Amino acid sequence: MRGHRDLKLACVGAVLCALVAALVPFELVRLVAALPLVLFLPGYAIIALAFGSRELALPKRIVLSVATSLMALVLGTFVLNIFPFGLRTASWAVLLPLVVIAACRGAALRRDPADRRPRRRMTLPRPAPASLALGAVAVLIAAAALVLAQKPLPAKDAVGFTALWMLPTDAREDAVAVGVISNEQHPASYRLEVSLGKSQSKTYRVDLDPGEERVYEVEVAPRASGRTHVVSTLYRKGRPGHVYRRVTSWLPRQMTFP
Amino acid sequence: MVKARFESLPVIALLAAIGLFLCSLANALSRATLAPTPLIYWVGLLVIALPIFFRLSSTKPGYRERLVLVLLLGLALYGVKIVHDSIFFTFSDEFVHAFNAENIDKYHHLYHFNPAIPTTPYYPGLEGATSALMMLTGMSSFGAGIFVVGAARLTFMAALFFLFARLSGSARGAGLGVAIYTGTSNFLFWGAQFSYESLSLPLLVVVLMCFVEREDAPPTSRSAWAVPIVLGILAIAITHHLTSYALAVIFVALAILYRVMKVERPNPWPFALLSVGVALGWLLIAARSTTGYLFPVLEEAIKAIVKTASGESAPRTLFHQASTTTETVATTPLAARAVALLAVAVLAAIVFLGLKALWRRDERREPLVILFGLGALAFFAALTLRFAPAAWETGNRAGGYFFLGLAFIGIYGAAEFLRRGTNLLRRRVALAGALGVVLVGGAISGWPWDIQLARPLQATAKGKEIDSESLALARWASERLDGSRFAAPEADARVLLNPGGQVAYGGQGPDIEDIVGSEGLESWQLPLLEQHNLPYVVGDRRLNSEDTLRGFYFDVKGQYGGKLREQGVVHKFARIPAGRVWQGNHIVLFNLKDRP
Repeated sequence: MRGHRDLKLACVGAVLCALVAALVPFELVRLVAALPLVLFLPGYAIIALAFGSRELALPKRIVLSVATSLMALVLGTFVLNIFPFGLRTASWAVLLPLVVIAACRGAALRRDPADRRPRRRMTLPRPAPASLALGAVAVLIAAAALVLAQKPLPAKDAVGFTALWMLPTDAREDAVAVGVISNEQHPASYRLEVSLGKSQSKTYRVDLDPGEERVYEVEVAPRASGRTHVVSTLYRKGRPGHVYRRVTSWLPRQMTFP
Repeated sequence: MVKARFESLPVIALLAAIGLFLCSLANALSRATLAPTPLIYWVGLLVIALPIFFRLSSTKPGYRERLVLVLLLGLALYGVKIVHDSIFFTFSDEFVHAFNAENIDKYHHLYHFNPAIPTTPYYPGLEGATSALMMLTGMSSFGAGIFVVGAARLTFMAALFFLFARLSGSARGAGLGVAIYTGTSNFLFWGAQFSYESLSLPLLVVVLMCFVEREDAPPTSRSAWAVPIVLGILAIAITHHLTSYALAVIFVALAILYRVMKVERPNPWPFALLSVGVALGWLLIAARSTTGYLFPVLEEAIKAIVKTASGESAPRTLFHQASTTTETVATTPLAARAVALLAVAVLAAIVFLGLKALWRRDERREPLVILFGLGALAFFAALTLRFAPAAWETGNRAGGYFFLGLAFIGIYGAAEFLRRGTNLLRRRVALAGALGVVLVGGAISGWPWDIQLARPLQATAKGKEIDSESLALARWASERLDGSRFAAPEADARVLLNPGGQVAYGGQGPDIEDIVGSEGLESWQLPLLEQHNLPYVVGDRRLNSEDTLRGFYFDVKGQYGGKLREQGVVHKFARIPAGRVWQGNHIVLFNLKDRP
């Protein structure tokens, strides 16, 4: 690939991007590395291989590079699926640089020797400072639009609720986890009663802010035969005699359909 | 000078950003249940598009500036979709494809079962590409999907511009053609969602663009252009069924036209053969379930057309935003209907002018131009399907493909319009306005009026995040039940698929809809649940819980989500008796395998 600076850059870039994406633990850094590896470099290399020394205008080369990268990803999915290891971080991090290196090697062989002379530097337009400032403001406003869209907002007319749930804590089913989740608009207080069969029961006072969850673990004593009927009932503070939520279970569970 | 500055690229970009912000603001106010006037949103959309349309109609910009303008248009309009719901996917098909992408990430192989649309895992192109980005970045399917569809979207805009520029020989015409295309009813939301067609349609346009470039290239360069064409045909075949069939039809028609018209360039029959071969091969080898998925829909559409045409059944009321439940949803206001109908009238006028102008030009002898002309006419034929109740969706989906032809013919119509009269500035203003009507009209007819703006799925109260009931159940299931099997009303089932990550059945195949929607427990219901091994059953009293576009948001006082089914839809499972695992306001989750 001597003399073909673009192809050499593509190969080195693909390997570096793959290493960073596969090994660095920070999502943003991985994203910055993965985007060119996934959405540009494979297509660039394949188009370079296909066209060899033939002219292809820069805008078309760029668009074809992205489009062909998408095609390569789709077909790469199909190829990786054939192997037992399948689609994994490591397999993508190996396949994509391999495609880039192989295609760049082929492209270098197909290009005319005359192409090896140093190319003229691409001239980029130099925008006026006012244009740059306007562009920067546009980017900031667009970013603000996206940030606003990602932000959950107060929605005072949305009807809030509290959920009660109960599940065995593990496969032995000798204890249950009982959870109360508040998706209410305001703080709320409850009384939680967990009854274990006919004789035992436990009571908890539950104060929850919006978005808060409380989980209580309750042991279920093993019985010689039969099942323990576990019932968790939630009462609102203002209406202590009125069942607000109720969940039930028979432990150990049968695990068969009725 | 001032006028020139107003038309400069940085100013247009700034206006596009302001328009996007207005759209985001309208959505934010709607999520905050403040019932904002939808005008903020529509003004935002026009602030994005009108300056670009106006500039594209000018004779001054060069080729690259026009390309940048169409890319800016594509990016900003994609942004409108992103700011609609940028916390989770919320379009009904997005849950299905996100579930597939997460499965690929989880199991490292393709073709894992999808209970909502079983055909989708066999067209894994989009999900496979997305999973690559997911694995290499650690992002969720939501984040990675936005990047992949965004890249496809930009590729689509640029490839359409190159295609139209090469075929029409005019960069100005190409820019206007792309501007017209944004008026298709599927462009703003449907075509931007995380769904297989959002990748396959851009790839189809890339293949057509490469084909046209190849036709114009010297013989020594033709093999180079064949590479992306072949890769594109293969990629489309494993990405989306309908697009692969559409591409096969286009190439077969081109091969026939080349033969009949004795075109001197090489006949594209090898591409026709390849596209038919891979589409059929993939259907027969990997995706046999496609026939059971597509053909009943087409059969129903044909029956509906016959019944409506013969007067046996009443025609569908236009702009009737039918929900799948009986809860009435807001109807499209009269003014919005008028804009949508005006958009169709504008398109008809542009096509009429375009066909008339094209008839006098040499391009009419180009086979692809003939196909585009037929596509433009077919678009209006497809519009009539909107009157047949079971055929409107087929017509709407087909319209997205036919619109490629319409947009191309529209180039000549727009050029003809700009040529007439003396005052070019006035005509440019009129054309930009007409294209604005087409864009807004397409958006109105392409997405239900009452959900053009986002609804609250997640909100804050006292500074903390709170979830809607469906989302709360799904997130709880994601944390506590690893990949369990559910039967649920369809809206709940979709959210349980993603972000819930559960195997959730809904709808009618098998007939879960009647199990979770009827008050009494009939004799066939429990055996059906056992047969499909669905121990977890979601009882949901909300009438809109079957509505996959609206059923998972917060109920909002006095607006929507307040109508309830009879208590029996929940109590019947308690009477079995079966364990109650989770209870919210209207939703109760039962475990049928937990019993005395």
